[in-house]
Amino acid sequence: MRNERRRFNLPALMLALAMLLAACGGQPQQPPAAGGGATTGGPPIKIGAIFDLTGATADVGTPYSKGQIAFVDWKNANGGVAGRQLQLISQDYAYEVPRAEELYTQFVTQDGVIVFSGWGTGDTEALKGKITADKIPFISASYSAALANPAETPYNFLVAPTYSDQLIIAMKWALDDWKAKGKSGTPKFAYLINDSPFGRSPLADGTAFATANGIETPLEVPSPRGATDLTPQLTQIRDYGANYVFLQNVSSPAALAIKNAKSLGLDVQFVCLNWCANELLIKLAGADAEGVVGAIPFSPEGEGAKVALEFAKEKGIDYGGADSTFVQGWTAMSILVTGIERTLKDGKELTGENIKNTLETMGPIETGGVTPPVVFSTTDHAGVKALRMFRVENGKWVAITDFISAK
Amino acid sequence: MQSGTFHTSYAGDMALRPYWVQRLRIALVLIAVLTFPWFADRYWLNLANTIAIAAIGAIGLNILVGYTGQISIGHGGFLAVGAYTAGLLAARLDAPMWVTIPVASGFTALVGAFFGLPSVRLKGLYLAIATLAAQEIIIWLLTHGKLLGIGESLTLPQAANNLFGFPLSALGNNDFAFYWVTVGFLILTVVFVSNLFRSRTGRAFVAIRDQDIAAQVIGVDLFRYKLLAFATSSFFAGLAGALTAHYRSIISWERFTIDTSILYLAMIIIGGLGSVSGSIYGAAFMTLLPALLSNLARAISGVVPDINTYLPYIQQGAFGLAIVLFLIFEPEGIVKMWRNVKDYFRLWPFSY
Repeated sequence: MRNERRRFNLPALMLALAMLLAACGGQPQQPPAAGGGATTGGPPIKIGAIFDLTGATADVGTPYSKGQIAFVDWKNANGGVAGRQLQLISQDYAYEVPRAEELYTQFVTQDGVIVFSGWGTGDTEALKGKITADKIPFISASYSAALANPAETPYNFLVAPTYSDQLIIAMKWALDDWKAKGKSGTPKFAYLINDSPFGRSPLADGTAFATANGIETPLEVPSPRGATDLTPQLTQIRDYGANYVFLQNVSSPAALAIKNAKSLGLDVQFVCLNWCANELLIKLAGADAEGVVGAIPFSPEGEGAKVALEFAKEKGIDYGGADSTFVQGWTAMSILVTGIERTLKDGKELTGENIKNTLETMGPIETGGVTPPVVFSTTDHAGVKALRMFRVENGKWVAITDFISAK
Repeated sequence: MQSGTFHTSYAGDMALRPYWVQRLRIALVLIAVLTFPWFADRYWLNLANTIAIAAIGAIGLNILVGYTGQISIGHGGFLAVGAYTAGLLAARLDAPMWVTIPVASGFTALVGAFFGLPSVRLKGLYLAIATLAAQEIIIWLLTHGKLLGIGESLTLPQAANNLFGFPLSALGNNDFAFYWVTVGFLILTVVFVSNLFRSRTGRAFVAIRDQDIAAQVIGVDLFRYKLLAFATSSFFAGLAGALTAHYRSIISWERFTIDTSILYLAMIIIGGLGSVSGSIYGAAFMTLLPALLSNLARAISGVVPDINTYLPYIQQGAFGLAIVLFLIFEPEGIVKMWRNVKDYFRLWPFSY
């Protein structure tokens, strides 16, 4: 009896210790507030970031995160910003909104990060109130049009065309393609989307554009999370008679849809928006990906991308071959850091408010041909309006148009 | 030193906390709770609020699972009902939180009772699947929320966060102000539920859990009390959901998926089934576990530079590992561990 009681107490003690650790961890190391003028040298500049490395969008979240980390390393290796080093404080949040809120609060209040790089649509929207209250300039991998209006979300910046713009551009291309193929009448459109705020974000604007152009209201088909077979969804699309299917999803489910469609003998033109138009899609769908068209906002062919890809090669960074997603992470971070750099150069104190004002007034930010120059203003935080359409030819994304804009 | 139960009056025998040690402990906990926000920064207040809200939800689930023996995998859905009811009232009708919270809790109780109807006929695994259906139906309604006029997410106006006309923002930052609300509701919940199980209704719940046929034989109306258990449980789920909505001021269905239902079940299993304090320990444990791991990883990242690469996988594994370890070594949860610690000191040095 005595022995038994002893045995049960060990885990109890360990638990108590664990709780104690949880209660103490991190608190004492209150960092000095990042600040200072334009002088060179000084404390590191802290940037917060959350990544999805294990959640629902981890397939593209991982190469994106590697791009962001690599940019910070590259910048530091090249002398940092005004002689100060950048410090990236980042963690996986598994695409869970509550975890994103917790990490954001920790990074902002305990670590004193001054800018933040987020990820998903759900969590970016959940954080928008806090971001505004804390005055933290925030870029995200979500290009939801709801985040582009500074009157509502003054600290959110979009570094790519909004999902709505992406869909409209893709539809414009589809209409041209339909005419170029010499077909009469209007094509039928369908959406095959991620069943989430991310998936649905552009649909209302896309449908408005389609109907304004005389196209029947597109069919909306959500793909269930974690599905291993999308045949029922594709059958629905076949029965509807769609000619163009717009995929607003990440690479793995999109590749699954493309493969399923092939075995179903479904003859439609797939058009991927940002998060499935990348090399992962080709890797996963193989030969079935031939002919798929993609809206790629961050072109891996631009001069600026070479620096990123060469640095990755030199350092042996493994990002799973997803060049465009790696470049996207890199470029997104570079835009945020440009805002910091310029604020210091102008001799202003590094505060969230100053960085926001700098980003809004500094004029075009060059990304070396990866995107058109990024321009923010006090009334518009959608920094990029145009992108090029690509097509998979011989296992590679090949640009098939010049930069197109939605308006 | 207390070595047995010696009551000399009925009042003493019936008291909720008959011993001065227990009362002292409660006083100490209350002092800690009341002084904590003055020392804590926003990160810790955020964690405390998350724990308090989760604890209310977990206590609710424990009424159903731990005390009445009915299984439910629909708790995430009931939280969503509470959150969206409060959210819609605040966003569409500009209702303040002292109106939305009781209305949302009451409405969730009704919804819970409705989905509890199968419990009259079904038991165990069958009931689990029936409640899973509740979860799926509620989330389906919300994702296809055009029917209800809900977009992808719902933003609550700041003005809704007031108590009887007094704006919460006047108390300071959002995390600090809400601490008093969440902890206040947690205390009310604890007092109510602790007393519930000393009442006729609570005894009936426990009788159903222990042996429903026997309970029926001694005159417990199974139908009535099972539905009442579902309603009471959902009431607190609705309360937790409504608090979440007001605290976060933006809600989307992503927060209330089946994962949330599983997380709440894990909380009460780890904390201790059929125990109010166990629900709180479980909520705290499940909330602090990821925070603890990431803080630990940061502390040792100087020694083990690659730790950040593995951390996500460690965190995923830790969740499952915690459940398995508890099931093997202490199926009765943290509350039993705490009791063992107390027993050890109470009986020392004659612990046999």
